[in-house]
Amino acid sequence: MIRFYKGLFFAASLGFAVAAVARTPVFELEIRDHLFVPEELVIPPNTKVKLVVYNRDSTPEEFESYELNREKVILGGSKANIFIGPLAPGVYPFFGEFNPRTAQGRVIVE
Amino acid sequence: MRCRNSHSGLLVACMGLLSSAAFGDGSVVDKIYHPYVEQLEWEVEWRAVQERKPPASNEARVATHRLGVGRAVSEFVFAEVYVIGREGSDREFRVDAWEVEALWQMSEQGEYVVDYGLLFELEKYRYDEIWEYATTLLLEKEVGRVSATANLSVIYEWGDDIADEFETAAALQARYRYSQALEPALELYMGEDTLALGPMVQGLARLGSRQALRWEAGVVWGLDTVTADYTLRAVLEYEF
Repeated sequence: MIRFYKGLFFAASLGFAVAAVARTPVFELEIRDHLFVPEELVIPPNTKVKLVVYNRDSTPEEFESYELNREKVILGGSKANIFIGPLAPGVYPFFGEFNPRTAQGRVIVE
Repeated sequence: MRCRNSHSGLLVACMGLLSSAAFGDGSVVDKIYHPYVEQLEWEVEWRAVQERKPPASNEARVATHRLGVGRAVSEFVFAEVYVIGREGSDREFRVDAWEVEALWQMSEQGEYVVDYGLLFELEKYRYDEIWEYATTLLLEKEVGRVSATANLSVIYEWGDDIADEFETAAALQARYRYSQALEPALELYMGEDTLALGPMVQGLARLGSRQALRWEAGVVWGLDTVTADYTLRAVLEYEF
């Protein structure tokens, strides 16, 4: 009986973990020619989201945003996962620290 | 999540050690670490801690300076080496120890309920046969514009000039992300000879693409008769 409850607890825990991951909405962003594409991402309020950033350039770039409290270097030709939120409605700018004049974008929460 | 079960076990074990073992001796006031690594980053760091002991003690002032060079060696690991100098009101400044450390970021920021990582430090005194090794669990939780950080350490000291022993220490910080240039925080340090609380401010000034100057300055006051009356600490980091 104890083994049954242990199995049940393990299955429930696994289920919750899988469900939590599955519920996280995924958004994609590309770095191309030192630009973020698209420049604007609209995400839902009060929801944690996973941002998959693909760096299509051959040089590294850094996704940086003080407003989002995130800094992440993405090597050339690779991708990175960045988790943001839950956020209140508003506009949260981000930029590429290697090319700050061209690589700029915004996360719009609405 | 990589090795999530083993990480949870480690967390429980560290918490258990902190609650059951004696706290470490000597001051544990120092920089509070965050469980994050910035890939490709280099860093040159100076930091200083100065204690003002109670007037009744023989040693009225003790200062420790660290000069370090560090580099992110991978996406999730940052390594740094330091030379350490100490001075006091009864002795001249001299470089008397070296230290190596490695910080391992173990979760993506914001991925789980708490961000976590580990810090490994090894220190050797130059003129005494004293070694010190520490493993510190780094935890951070973001709640709106407030970031709460905990450093929970288990330390082992050994050598011919010191009694071999395990110690533990804890440092907690609540930081308000007001602006990149100025972030106020409140810090609490706990160890066998330390129970101290006080404010800290930190900021970052950008010097150009991939170059920044990060600084911290704080003071904590002793909350018991053993802890130094007050301890000043400062950090200056050039990141590139």
